[in-house]
Amino acid sequence: MARARGLGLSLPLLLGQLLALMGGGGALYLEVRELEEKCFIQEIPDGTVVIGNYKTELYDPAMEKYQPSPQWINLFVFVKDPENKNLLARQYGPQGSFTFTSQSPGEHQICLHLESIRFSLFYDGKLAIHLDMKLGEHTNDYAEFAAKDKLTQLRLRVQQLVEQVEQIQKEQEYQRWREERFRQTSESTNRRVLWWSILQTLILVATGIWQMQHLKSFFKAKKLV
Amino acid sequence: MGDKIWLPFSVLLLAALLAVLLPRVAGFTHSLDSDFTFTLPAGQRECFYQPMPLKASLEIEYQVLDGAGLDIDFHLASPEGRTLVFEQRKSDGVHTVETEVGDYMFCFDNTFSTISEKVIFFELILDNMGEQEQEQEDWKKYITGTDMLDMKLEDILFLRKGTIKQQKTLHIYESINSIKSRLSKSGHIQNLLRAFEARDRNIQESNFDRVNFWSLVNLMVMVVVSAIQVYMLKSLFEDKRKSRT
Repeated sequence: MARARGLGLSLPLLLGQLLALMGGGGALYLEVRELEEKCFIQEIPDGTVVIGNYKTELYDPAMEKYQPSPQWINLFVFVKDPENKNLLARQYGPQGSFTFTSQSPGEHQICLHLESIRFSLFYDGKLAIHLDMKLGEHTNDYAEFAAKDKLTQLRLRVQQLVEQVEQIQKEQEYQRWREERFRQTSESTNRRVLWWSILQTLILVATGIWQMQHLKSFFKAKKLV
Repeated sequence: MGDKIWLPFSVLLLAALLAVLLPRVAGFTHSLDSDFTFTLPAGQRECFYQPMPLKASLEIEYQVLDGAGLDIDFHLASPEGRTLVFEQRKSDGVHTVETEVGDYMFCFDNTFSTISEKVIFFELILDNMGEQEQEQEDWKKYITGTDMLDMKLEDILFLRKGTIKQQKTLHIYESINSIKSRLSKSGHIQNLLRAFEARDRNIQESNFDRVNFWSLVNLMVMVVVSAIQVYMLKSLFEDKRKSRT
């Protein structure tokens, strides 16, 4: 998660992050069974860093609550970019984080499933995945910025605001590109409606003429006309 | 690992409490937000859980982006299992609840549909979670020096006399906090606009496919029907000839 310099810096930060997950205001979680795949779609511009912090838990029927997963439960993460190429296909431990950077703008698909790599779970083993996905500006580690560039509190906060604005700008740019493609599809649909209608009319007229001519020659051959 | 967590936790809790006691800092709390888009296959139900502390605010906003009919059932339950919201066949919705301690459950239900899968976007906005102070405490460890700017700004910005020096420096942080919260709100609105655009785009693309498909079918039906008409007419006359021989 944070490539902070030295354990002294990273440990409180990591604990703070873990606390955010474990405390009263934790992250969203969902219940899954083993090997059940859950997929999420993220529509992002290119060059966006995505970090997913997760924690998995196994339901203990004896204690009737969720306990942290044992080490032999692994999370498999697959990320596909808009062209369906694999951006990330890795196996992670029962808790931690996965990260990837988008290379092209569009809809990315993030699929997760849990698998126990050593022992087999009970047939109805329930698991929970706590997930917290951060994009763009939220992935920045401001504590590290401050330590590296020796910023004061004020400058650090202004830096954060600048990053936030940059991300909004990037999203707007992406929306503009999206809207252009949307407009192209609409215009193409309009054109096609027009051309199909003209074509249909022409074919209708042509088949009508063909029918009349064919029947005329047929009746003439039968000496009915 | 367990007891190692609790020691700094109590320290942070103390620091957070101290931060709350300082005037005017506790007035602002920033919101956490997350948004997810997922595909819900036909005939299935998907539930999510969000742990909440006491007296925080949970806002959930959802939209159906793709799938025939663009509608879904929505269900929100409190930690005790009491149903707070139950909506059927809606295409979008917004709900805000003031929370008690526990895990709130919300579910999207596509069981009424047998063939079409839905793409659902939802955004969770959490307020008053009390995490802003913690983040500032983390930052305080890594910042170096004090801002000379603080001293100068005091003279320029604040003309009141006899106010506490601490309040003056806090005032500019308040402005920054307010900018940050407004930018976060812009970000939320951008998410919503993106969801609207995705939905419109999906509708357009399905229109495009439908126009192509049905036009082709129409054309083929026309040609086939005209051929059948001619053939049947011809056969009316040919039968007489056959019966004669």
